[in-house]
Amino acid sequence: MKAKQQTALFIIIAIVSTAAVAVGVTYVVLAPTPGKEANAVEIYHWWTSGGEAAAINALVDEFSSQYPNTTVQQVQIAGGAGFEMRVKIKTLMIAGDPPDTFQVHAGYEWKLFYDAGLLSNIDNIWTDNLKSVIPDVIEDINKGPDGHYYSVPVNIHRSNVVWYNYAVLNNTGIDPSTLTTWDKFFQACDWIEGNGTATHAVNIGPQWTQAHAFEQILASQGIDVYQAWINGEIDSTSATYYSDLLAACGIYNDLLGYTGTPLGSWDDATAEIITGDVAFNIMGDWANGEFYQSNYNYTRDYGTMAVPGTNNMYGLVIDCFEKPKNIDHPTSVDHWLSVVASKDGQDAFNPLKGSIAARTDANLSKYGAYQTAAIQDFNAIDASATSYMYPSVVHGSGAPEAFNTDLAPIIGELTSGSASVSETAQAIATLAQTYSSDFTRTWDLGGS
Amino acid sequence: MIINENLSEINDFNSKKKVIILLKRFAKASFQRDSLIIRLIFITACILVAYFVYYFIIWNIYFSFTDWIGLIQTSNFVGFANYLKMLNDPIFWKSFQNSLIFMVVFIPVSIIIGLILAIFIDQKIRFEGSFRMFYLLPYALSFVVTAYLWKWMFVDDGVINTILDLLGFGFLRNAWISNPNIALYSVSAALIWQFSGYIMLIFLAAMRSIPTSHIMAAQVDGASGFKLYTRVIIPQIKTSTFTAFVILMVFALKAFDFIWILTDEGGPGWATSILPIMMYKVAFKSNRFAYSAAIATTLLFLVMMIVIPYLYITYRKKS
Repeated sequence: MKAKQQTALFIIIAIVSTAAVAVGVTYVVLAPTPGKEANAVEIYHWWTSGGEAAAINALVDEFSSQYPNTTVQQVQIAGGAGFEMRVKIKTLMIAGDPPDTFQVHAGYEWKLFYDAGLLSNIDNIWTDNLKSVIPDVIEDINKGPDGHYYSVPVNIHRSNVVWYNYAVLNNTGIDPSTLTTWDKFFQACDWIEGNGTATHAVNIGPQWTQAHAFEQILASQGIDVYQAWINGEIDSTSATYYSDLLAACGIYNDLLGYTGTPLGSWDDATAEIITGDVAFNIMGDWANGEFYQSNYNYTRDYGTMAVPGTNNMYGLVIDCFEKPKNIDHPTSVDHWLSVVASKDGQDAFNPLKGSIAARTDANLSKYGAYQTAAIQDFNAIDASATSYMYPSVVHGSGAPEAFNTDLAPIIGELTSGSASVSETAQAIATLAQTYSSDFTRTWDLGGS
Repeated sequence: MIINENLSEINDFNSKKKVIILLKRFAKASFQRDSLIIRLIFITACILVAYFVYYFIIWNIYFSFTDWIGLIQTSNFVGFANYLKMLNDPIFWKSFQNSLIFMVVFIPVSIIIGLILAIFIDQKIRFEGSFRMFYLLPYALSFVVTAYLWKWMFVDDGVINTILDLLGFGFLRNAWISNPNIALYSVSAALIWQFSGYIMLIFLAAMRSIPTSHIMAAQVDGASGFKLYTRVIIPQIKTSTFTAFVILMVFALKAFDFIWILTDEGGPGWATSILPIMMYKVAFKSNRFAYSAAIATTLLFLVMMIVIPYLYITYRKKS
C-alpha cells in the first residue's frame, strides 16, 4: 500500500512540476517583454541582399523621421524568394501570434490569409489622393474579393525584361530594338552563336527562373491568352487558348536550344551577362542591382529590351505590405502603411531597389537611368488603350499558390528533357483543372 | 545460571539484530529516496515525450482524415479521401520511387565503403587516429553546408567537371544535378561521402570488440588476410551491419534538407523529389495540410515497417 501511495505521490509531484515549468516558460515566451514599448512595429521581409537591404533601411529611416517615437524592428528571413519567410508567417498565423506586418506580393500571395479572415482591411490608408496616383490595374490587385483594400504597394518591378551586354551585341552588329518577334530573336541567337564571342546566346537558372521565362513567353502570345491562363480557363486540351499554350511551350523549348545547362542561381545567370559569356538573359528588373554593383552603365555597358512580343506589356511584380488582425501594434502599422504609400517613402525605397514607384507622381530626378526608362515605359503603357499590364504568376500575384508551386517543376521537366512539349502543355492545363477551386479571382487585363 | 547466560546472549543477539534491522531500514530509506528522484525524472520526461511526440503523431494522423486546406484548421471528416488522392497522384509515386531508388543505392554502398574503410583502419597503421578523424569529419559537417558545397561542385563549370577535363576524362563531363537520369545518383554519391565515415566507426567498434582469442585461434589454424576477414571477422559483426542498415534506412527516408538545397527543391522537375520533399511542398507551398498529413502518415508507416522488426529481433535476442 505504502509503495502505491508513494508512486501516486511521485506522479502528482511530477505532473505539478512539469506543469509549473511549462506554464512558466509559456508565460515568459508569450507575455509582453518588459522592454517592449507600445510604440513599436515589427516588420517581416526577405530583402537581405546588398541593394535590397539598403532600400528597406532607407524606407525605415523615412518612417523614423516621421514617427521618431516608434521603434522599428526588422525581421529578415532570407531564402527561396520569400518562401522561407512565408512558412514562418503561416506558422505564426496558425499559432494565433500574427506579425505586425510583412512583405508579400500583391494578389494571390496574401489570399490565403484573407480566406482565413486574418487580414484587416486598410481602406483608411487608401485615401482618395492615393487612389488618384496609383494606376487602376495596381489598385485592383490590392483589393480583396469583397472590394475592400487589403494591401498597399511599395513598388512595381517589371518581369518581362531581357538584359544584354552591349559589348557582345556590338560585335555582332545586331540592333536589339529590332528583335520584336520570336523569329527575329532566334535568328539573332543563331547569328550570335555562329559568329559572336558569346558561348551561348541565352542562359537559364534554377526552376523558378525557367518558369519566369515561360510566363513571359506565354504573355507574348497575347494578353487574352495570358488572361485566360491566370483565370484558370486553359484547363484542358480542348480549351479555347490551349493551342497558344502549346505554342508557348514550343517557343520555350526553342529557347532552350540556345542555353547551356541551368545555373544554380538567378544572379549567376546575370553575372554571365556582365562578363559577356552570354548575350541575353530574361529576368525581372531586380537584376538591375547586379549591374549597378558592377558599376555598369545603362545604355553604355548593358541594356534592356522587352521580351519579344511583349513590347506593349508590363509584367507586374508588386511588393506590398498589409495589416493582419489581432496584432500587437495596430496604430504603428497604420503609420507604417501610410509611409509606405507616401511619395517620400517610395522615393526613398525604389531608387535603391531597382524598381519603380507604384505612384505616378514619383520624383524622377531620384531614379537611375534604367528606372527612368522603365517609368517612361510604364506611363506610356498605362496611358495607351492597346498596352497592357499583367500580374506575374511565378511571383505569386497572378495565380493561386498551389498552381505556382507545381508550375516550376513542370517547366523543369521540359528543360531537362523528361517531358515533351505536348506533355508539358497538357500538364499545365491539367494543373489548372486540379486546382480549379483555388482560382477565385477573375482578372480583366483589358484584352478583347 | 544457564538461563541467565542464555538470556543475556539472546539479548545481545536481539540488540545486534535490531542494529542490523535499523541499518537495513536506513539503507532502504535512502534507496527509496533515490528511487523517488529517478521516478520523478522519468515521469517528467515521459510526459513531455508523450505530448510533444506521440500526441502530435496522433494529431497528424487525425488531420489526414480531414479536408484541411489553408490556414483555418477544419475538422470535416472525409475518410480516406486524402489517401486515395495520394495513391492516384503520379507525383506521389514518382517521389516514392525516388525514395526507394535512393535507399537501394545509398545504403549498400555506404555499408560497403564503411566496411572497407574500417578494415583499412584496423590494420594497425600509423596515424590511425588521424585517418579515423579524417574519414569521420564529413559526418560532423552540417548537411546544409555540404549541400551548398556539393552544389557548386556539381555545376557545369564546377570542380568535378574541371578536374575531369584536367585529367583528360573530359568525355565524362556531365550535368550532374541537371540531368534527370543521374541527378538522384549524384545526390546519393554526395550523401555516401558524408555517411561512410560514421558507418566506418560503427564497424571499427564492432571489429575491435571481437575477442582476440577468436582471431588468434583462427590464425593458428592458418587463416590470414582475406580469409581471416571473410570467414572470421565479418560474420561476427552482423549485428553492427544490421544497426548500420537501420540507421541509414531511417535517414534515407528522411533526407530532406540536403536534397532540397542541392537539387533546387527536388528538381529537375521531380527527378530527385523524395517523399519528405513532396510532403513539405504540399503543406507549406500548396497549403494542403490534410493531404500532407496523409503523406506524412504513410512515411511514418514505412519507417515503422523497418524499425519494428529491428526492435523485435533485438529485444527477442536479449530476452
